Amino acid sequence: MKKLETDVVIVGAGPSGLAASVQAADDGASVIVLNKADVVGGAANMGMGPLGIGTRQQQAQMVDIDVERAFKMFMDYTHWRVDANLVKKYFENSKETIEWLEDMGVEFAGAYPYFPKSEATWHIVAVNGGIGRNGGAIMNKAMMDKGTELGVEYMNSVEVQEIVIEDGKVAGVKAKAADGEEIEVSAKAVIIATGGAGDSPEYLKERMGYTWGEDMFNFRIPGNVGDGIKMAIAAGAATTEMNMEMIYVLPNTDMIEPLPAVFMQPNLMVNQFGRRFINEEQMQNTTFTGNAINIQKGSVGYSIFDSSILKGYKKRGLDVVNFVHHPENLDEFDEVLDAQIAGGNKDVYMADTIEELAEKLGIDPEALSDTIDEYNDMCDSADTQFYKPRKFMKPIRKAPFYAGAFRPSGYGTLGGIKVNDDMEVLKDNWEKIPGLYACGTDTCTIYGDSYMFLLPGNTMGYCLNSGRFAGEGAAAYADEN
Amino acid sequence: MGTVQLTIDGYKIVADESKTVLEAALDNGIYIPHLCHHENLHPNGGCRLCVVKQDGVDGVITSCSTKVREGMVIHTKDEQAEAIRKLSCDFMFKTHPTECTGCPKYGKCQLASISQYVGDTGRDLRYTQIRVTADESNPLMLHEMHRCILCGRCVRACEEMRGVGALKFEKVDGRMRVVINGASLEEAGCRFCGACVEVCPTGSIRDKVGVFDENLPRERALVPCREACPAHVDVPKYIRFINEGNYAAAAATVREKVPLPEVLGYVCVHNCETNCKRNYLNGPVSIRNLKRYAAQQDDGAWKEKAFQKPDTGKKVAVIGSGPAGLTVAYYMRKLGHDVTVFEKLPQAGGQMRYGIPSYRLPREVLDKEIEEIKAIGVKIECNSEVQSAVDLKKDYDVVYAAIGTHAGNKLPLENNDLPDVYLNADFLRAENLGNPLPVGENVVVLGGGNVAIDCAETAVRLGAKHVVMTCLEAADKMTASDEEVTWAKEDGIIVENSRTFDAIVAENGKVTGLTVTGIEGLKFGPKGPEFTRIPDSTVTFPADTVIFAVGQHPDVTEAFGLELNRGRIVANPETFETNIEGIYASGDCVTGTRSVIQAIGEARIAVSAMDRYLGGDGNIEENLAPEQDANPCIGKATDAEKAGRHEPKTTEPCERVKNFDPMDLGFDCSAAGCESDRCLQCDLRLQIAPQKFWSDYVPEEGGAQ
Repeated sequence: MKKLETDVVIVGAGPSGLAASVQAADDGASVIVLNKADVVGGAANMGMGPLGIGTRQQQAQMVDIDVERAFKMFMDYTHWRVDANLVKKYFENSKETIEWLEDMGVEFAGAYPYFPKSEATWHIVAVNGGIGRNGGAIMNKAMMDKGTELGVEYMNSVEVQEIVIEDGKVAGVKAKAADGEEIEVSAKAVIIATGGAGDSPEYLKERMGYTWGEDMFNFRIPGNVGDGIKMAIAAGAATTEMNMEMIYVLPNTDMIEPLPAVFMQPNLMVNQFGRRFINEEQMQNTTFTGNAINIQKGSVGYSIFDSSILKGYKKRGLDVVNFVHHPENLDEFDEVLDAQIAGGNKDVYMADTIEELAEKLGIDPEALSDTIDEYNDMCDSADTQFYKPRKFMKPIRKAPFYAGAFRPSGYGTLGGIKVNDDMEVLKDNWEKIPGLYACGTDTCTIYGDSYMFLLPGNTMGYCLNSGRFAGEGAAAYADEN
Repeated sequence: MGTVQLTIDGYKIVADESKTVLEAALDNGIYIPHLCHHENLHPNGGCRLCVVKQDGVDGVITSCSTKVREGMVIHTKDEQAEAIRKLSCDFMFKTHPTECTGCPKYGKCQLASISQYVGDTGRDLRYTQIRVTADESNPLMLHEMHRCILCGRCVRACEEMRGVGALKFEKVDGRMRVVINGASLEEAGCRFCGACVEVCPTGSIRDKVGVFDENLPRERALVPCREACPAHVDVPKYIRFINEGNYAAAAATVREKVPLPEVLGYVCVHNCETNCKRNYLNGPVSIRNLKRYAAQQDDGAWKEKAFQKPDTGKKVAVIGSGPAGLTVAYYMRKLGHDVTVFEKLPQAGGQMRYGIPSYRLPREVLDKEIEEIKAIGVKIECNSEVQSAVDLKKDYDVVYAAIGTHAGNKLPLENNDLPDVYLNADFLRAENLGNPLPVGENVVVLGGGNVAIDCAETAVRLGAKHVVMTCLEAADKMTASDEEVTWAKEDGIIVENSRTFDAIVAENGKVTGLTVTGIEGLKFGPKGPEFTRIPDSTVTFPADTVIFAVGQHPDVTEAFGLELNRGRIVANPETFETNIEGIYASGDCVTGTRSVIQAIGEARIAVSAMDRYLGGDGNIEENLAPEQDANPCIGKATDAEKAGRHEPKTTEPCERVKNFDPMDLGFDCSAAGCESDRCLQCDLRLQIAPQKFWSDYVPEEGGAQ
């Protein structure tokens, strides 16, 4: 049994926990971070960068977005069902947070949209001076280095098991190291930042009604099993609605480029009845499309195109690309697809006739043929059904025909612990639990029912900024108590 | 060997002159990125991550292949070195998937951690994936080589460390890959030691989910047999001794944790075998029989190393002389306390003598091991029933109660009080006291556990012509061990599964049969068994004698003075202290009927708690076996090592049913040797350094030696 003492204990070392640690230490608190994973950074190590509004990068790139417009857009989007004060505070601080990171040595490649209709709020962390992948990991290291410099003690492979409450106030945590050693940390304040419950099928089922592997194929970040939410509730916290940060995927094909990129093009998407259910232009907005697929029978949407469309892509490039899926050339498409189909991958299909394709997908052939005839007619005129722009209306006529079966997915869960805009954890009666703070996705209910993809970088941005608010609050609380 | 002084990043470091710069830095908490370097492997300098700047030398040096020298000044954060590392990282990402999503190694990935440190998590270099599908064909290890970055650590571990060479580099379709050196891992001579998994920096080679318990610390999880044993007997160690022909050392290894090694060799429920990794291949190692063979060869040399603490003058009373009571008595005596055991029955041994039939456990084996316990000064008073533990406490510093479960459970069936209806505990005890209860021609035993089998086999040996065992559980869900069920069937016992008991049929006060109905969908809910009766499946088994073998409970009342819950003694699960200070209890009387090894395992914990209560340190660990330097270089699997499980010889069913002589003859020397070849030596994996990450290194101010 190891016993430690500090002002502030932070549970989790993803971007929110790291940001909280640096902020709290900068504000004068002694800080210990206990992190269950072997490495710091959490899910954000596979992210590319946070949201910022009104930043130097945006000014330089002549991006027209300010806090007022973003706030209005956001509140219209969420129908004011979310904490306006927290949204405002977050947006207002986002610019300074970008600069705060730059002061730690984080370089940004610039501010970008995720897809053409989204705003350029995504501040992509530079990898070797340019746009790369997983820049979030570099940002996270910079925060840990800064925290270490400020005296923060980071302990990895340590699982916190309980928040200790004495006399109605936070008194510390009980934890266990990977070698089984028990650790007790007494502290004035505790900040929960454990990254949600995406790796817990039980949570997905109980709180959101999804069955993992059947109607939900979210990325399960190993270890994100709702530790913080459980501990907060056990400590008396009120819980909030929980949501999936919804996207859509080909569950077994997401890594097998160039397939996902091609199947995600805005061609025809139908459900199990063979009917269209979405303006496929929205396929760029992974949240909206995930939502739409989620309410179809069997939670599946089939994206269909033909060999002329494929030929066009090979020759002239794809209609739409994004930072994640942007293959340079499509020459290998057929070879990769054949191998996947031969290997029994149930995400992707190829057929010589529409009838054969329908049968493979389990759709009534007549219904699918009717839909395709109707769709092809509209390609000659206009999409009078869902108003998709002309440029994306490409008829499906020439064999072979291709289909991809897209299903709901998600980055992880959102929400779970009720907090106010100072990230203080609240009980059911809205009273605070003195000394208890929470931040990051464990608390993120600001999107309402659906992730706000129009302002990309939102989740990492929320994590960093809410982490800083929690760090600031916890340090001040520790100082006063 | 001499030492040298050098400076790394401003820290003055003293290092052994045999060390490389990289080793010296890491030893002192200074991180230098490295991938191809591994503590247990020879350096090959290929990954170019560990390059550093040395003052006075042009360019950079490879720290994993440069020995330390006096006065060296090293800079790990040199600009040129950092540029080389970034480039090296980028090349690794050329074949590694662009996205971490879906990777089970996320959060434990060396590549991700290194790239995070290096500051290059993958530039927009074109990713050319290795098109190779996951190989799930092996039941223990998973190959997802599309994640492979060709660091070669697995190949080197298999070759250098193990001398196996089951993996190799090969050019496939013009590109280098790591492949299996044969049609399958088995054919390649793989020993399934997991060294490749242990050193893989990415998620390319992994243990299959479920093979190891991920919630346990590595040291415990990786050796599942030792972990599953309630007394944590060091199974791989004693099997290795057996394999070397050093049987006495094997016996001593078992003796380090249990005072009844040979008894366990006969009757242990062997959780170790249930959890043996070889279950995934071709059946578990026959661990219990190996233990029995070793215990039979015991030369007692361990006695010289056994600890015996000086007398403390503290008096300890033990109630009950079953495995729990004997274990407590043994260790409490060794800790220097004055121990008296009170046994209600005429001889010591508890259920080992009065429950388990002698054809399974020869009494001379039990007698011999009890003599060993008495030999160190434990007093055992038989025919001595304790009415109240609380009263007894007045004369002793500590009382420990392990009174077992000597009363059988009776189900509320019609006619259950007739004279031809017996309870398991009574039936077996009577036989073992030498006054067997009479059985008719047709005997029906209710129950599907090992005790039910003991009752059925005893009935056969007492002359019953037709013996039927019937239980709620389906054949594959019976709690009796498969081996025992097989033997029972060989002995002519009919097993009728998935039946619920309706009534005992009787005529004129004499049992004539048992009526049962077929069931399906059996579940055990909070209120007991739940199932659906199958219509028109009611039958009556003819019976002259009916024996209930549906569980047992302690023969205890409130008069004993301890808190009871549902008829069992209540004890703290961590210390085994009861509601009365200074009185402890464990074993079946606390947990309900379990096993000899479970009783011993818990008794050891209770001993430590009691000794601490008496002012001792509670330490009962001892090293009785010689040191073992397990050779990691195990070589390719031979035919003997690939062989299926060896079964012990048993006596012929037609003969054994006539008497209570031992029926399982165990292993001879050759069978024991062959079976020990099958051990996968899972513990060798613990010799490999666990993977560390940059964030685990904290430089010591001023340097440390």
